[in-house]
Amino acid sequence: MSAISQFWVLIVVLAIGTWLMRSLPIMLHGHVPHPPWLERFLKHVPVAALTALVIPSSIYVHSGATYTIAPARILAAGLAMLVALRTKNVLATLAVGMGVLWVAQWGLSALG
Amino acid sequence: MRAGAKDIAPILVGIVPFGLVAGAAVIQAGLGMPEAIGMSLLVNAGASQIVATTLFGSGAPLWLALVTALIVNARMFIYSTSIAPVLSEAPGWLRPILGHMLVDQNYASTMTKGRFRDDVDVVPYYIGAWFALAGVWQFSTIAGALVGPLIPSSWGLEFAVPLVFLAMLAPALKDSVAMSVCIVTAVASALLVPLLPLQSGLVVAILVGMLYGAWRDRPGTEAETP
Repeated sequence: MSAISQFWVLIVVLAIGTWLMRSLPIMLHGHVPHPPWLERFLKHVPVAALTALVIPSSIYVHSGATYTIAPARILAAGLAMLVALRTKNVLATLAVGMGVLWVAQWGLSALG
Repeated sequence: MRAGAKDIAPILVGIVPFGLVAGAAVIQAGLGMPEAIGMSLLVNAGASQIVATTLFGSGAPLWLALVTALIVNARMFIYSTSIAPVLSEAPGWLRPILGHMLVDQNYASTMTKGRFRDDVDVVPYYIGAWFALAGVWQFSTIAGALVGPLIPSSWGLEFAVPLVFLAMLAPALKDSVAMSVCIVTAVASALLVPLLPLQSGLVVAILVGMLYGAWRDRPGTEAETP
């Protein structure tokens, strides 16, 4: 099988698997029990998921399975967090985060 | 639908670098524009697309690329279970489509903003937000396939992705329980993501935060939480 056909197999199987995981609970809602304790477990999923999406890439850069601590990212994410908490503004958070990252990278490379 | 698209608008800026990286990854793996477009349309989940493409391009076996990407997407099963009651007014025929539309940004926007709005219906809100996201996602994946390989990696454009999630996270930290769930998940993800194999640290860290939150909210503790 050529690399291109192999990649299409990857796309299609990944698409079907992902669709099943993201659709089944929405489709089955009302047909399977949704006990009150489940709500308690799911209540904090938005905060947990967003945190887990933020933290690793705010601390490390990685290539493959090798993770390296990135001080410029920690500084940039920390200041962006203060802006996010203060302003609750997405664009301000992005601007400060990227700005600090660039300045810090430039500063660290000038130092080292 | 317009309300959902409007609420998601500031986030769209953060999708662009993500799409650029995803599109560029497909070209760097030795594939072409049809694969870049097809993958974004059918898979519609950025992080898993980048992981699968990079592994494939580095010569990893097909099954490994597939299993890793599916583990990265396992969090969507938790999202789906969590958003299902919010979207319960949707008719049966629409639900398989709503499932395909479930992505991090749409989930977060609907769960932290849309469902609390009295002036709009949540199902059209969710659909509108997805159309805005998917349009920008498709456009920026194509742009990434065209020019992505020319962008120097030292610009760190992909850092815009966690920054957008950070901006969505801050308003959700409303009380001390949410704050402590955030801290516990932060520690768990910082430790587990580099350690656990096949990118499974992400979903395990979400589960740790979820279980900790459920434990904090266990019956009989209402008096403790302000």
